[in-house]
Amino acid sequence: MTTLTFRDMENLSAYLDGQLSPVEKTRLEQRVQSDPALASALVELRQTHRLLALAPHRRAPRNFTLTPKMAGIRPPVPRLVPALSWASAVAMLLFIFTIGANLVGQFSFAASSPMMANAPSGLGGGPAAAATLAPAPSGFAPLAPVPATAAPATAAPAAPVNPVPGQNLQPTQSVSAYGAVAPDLATPEPTFAPSTRSTQPFQKTSPRQPSPWLFIWPALALLLGGLAILTLWLNKRAFHRRNSHS
Amino acid sequence: MDESTLILDAQHGDLNAFNTLVLAYQDALYNTALRILNDEDQAADATQEAFLSAFRALNSYRGGSFRAWLLRTVTNACYDELRRKKRRPTTPLEPETTDGEEIESPAWMADPHASPEETLDQAELEHAIQHCLENLPTDFRAVVVLADIQGLDYTEVAVAVRKPLGTVKSRLARARLRLRECLQGFGELLPAAFRLEEESSI
Repeated sequence: MTTLTFRDMENLSAYLDGQLSPVEKTRLEQRVQSDPALASALVELRQTHRLLALAPHRRAPRNFTLTPKMAGIRPPVPRLVPALSWASAVAMLLFIFTIGANLVGQFSFAASSPMMANAPSGLGGGPAAAATLAPAPSGFAPLAPVPATAAPATAAPAAPVNPVPGQNLQPTQSVSAYGAVAPDLATPEPTFAPSTRSTQPFQKTSPRQPSPWLFIWPALALLLGGLAILTLWLNKRAFHRRNSHS
Repeated sequence: MDESTLILDAQHGDLNAFNTLVLAYQDALYNTALRILNDEDQAADATQEAFLSAFRALNSYRGGSFRAWLLRTVTNACYDELRRKKRRPTTPLEPETTDGEEIESPAWMADPHASPEETLDQAELEHAIQHCLENLPTDFRAVVVLADIQGLDYTEVAVAVRKPLGTVKSRLARARLRLRECLQGFGELLPAAFRLEEESSI
C-alpha cells in the first residue's frame, strides 16, 4: 500500500469523468488493481460523485420570464407615428405663426389707418381739430398741392356733421372757405368732380377684407393638432396592448 | 421550434422566443444558484439577474452549449451576489415551528409526489450536501456544482468559470476530496441508501 498523492486523487477524479487519455486510463486501472488504497479512494470518490448527482432537484419558485419593461424594450410604434410626429411639430409652428400673424395684422392695420384714428376729432371738430386747422386761412401755400376734388368732399360732410356750435364751428367754416378757393390756385379744371367719385378711395379701404389665410392657418393647425392627439392615442394603445400580452 | 431558432429569434429582439428559453432553463439556473448561494431568495434574485444579463448579452453568444452559456451567466450572478452578501451580511428568516424552532427544510418546498420517507431522506441528503458545499471555497463550490450537479463536462465548466482546463480539473479533485470527508462525517445521519460505504473497486 502506497501513500496517495494529490496527483493520484486528481487522476482518479478525471478518470471518473472520462477525462484521461487511453494510455493514462490503462496505467491507472493497473495501479488500482494492485493498490488497495488507490482502489478505496476511487470507490469513495465515485460514491461522492454519485451522491452529489442525487441532490434533490428543486423547481423554480416562480417563472423568471422577462417583461418588455425589464428588458428595456419599447413597444412597436404604428407606421403612421413618425409622419404624425412631424405633423404635430408643424402644427405647433403653424399655431405660433397664426398667432403672430394675427398680432402683426392688427398692429399694421391700426398703424396704416391714421385717418381712422384722427377721424373722430376731424369730423367732430374737437379742440385738436381747432388747434390744427386754425391757422389755415392765413397759410394757403402749403396746402396748394392738395387736389381740389378733396375740398368738396371734406367740406361737404363737415358742415352738416359738425353739431357743435360756437368756437368749433369757425375752423370748419374756414376749411370750407379754403376748399372754395383751392380750384383757383391749383387745378386747371374748374369743374368739380361728383362727390361720389371723390369718396371712392375712402370707401375702398374702409371695409377691411380679412385674408383667407387667417382661416386656413388655424384650420390646418387644428387638423394637425388632431393628428398629433391621434398619434399619442395610438402610441398608448400599442403600449398597453404589448404589456397585456406579456 | 428548436433551440437554435429560438436563440436566433431572441438575438433579433424577440422577447417571446427568449422567454421560451427561460422556461426551459429556469430550473437548472435556479438550482445552480441555490447550491452556490444556499439561500432561496438570493438564488431567485441571481437567477433573474442572470436571465436579464443573458438577454442583454445574447449577441455575444457564438454557438456551443447554450445551457453552459446560461450557467456561466448565473455563476457570475452568484459571484456578484456573494460579493454583495459579504458587504451587507444578512440573517435569513427561516420559518419556525409552533415551539419557535427554525425549520431548515420548509415543508412547502417538498416534492408533493414523494412519499414521506422519501421526502425525509431527500431533505436529509440535501441538508448534508448543502452543508458540505457551504464549507467549500466559492471557486471550488461553483466547479463542483456545475460538474457534478449540473453535469457539465470539463470544457463547459472551464468556459463557465473562465478558468483553464487544468485549473478546473484540479479544483474539481480538491472539491470532491473535501466533500468526501465532509459527507463521511455525516455517517449514520445520512439515510442508508446514501451512506458512503466500502464497496468493491472498479
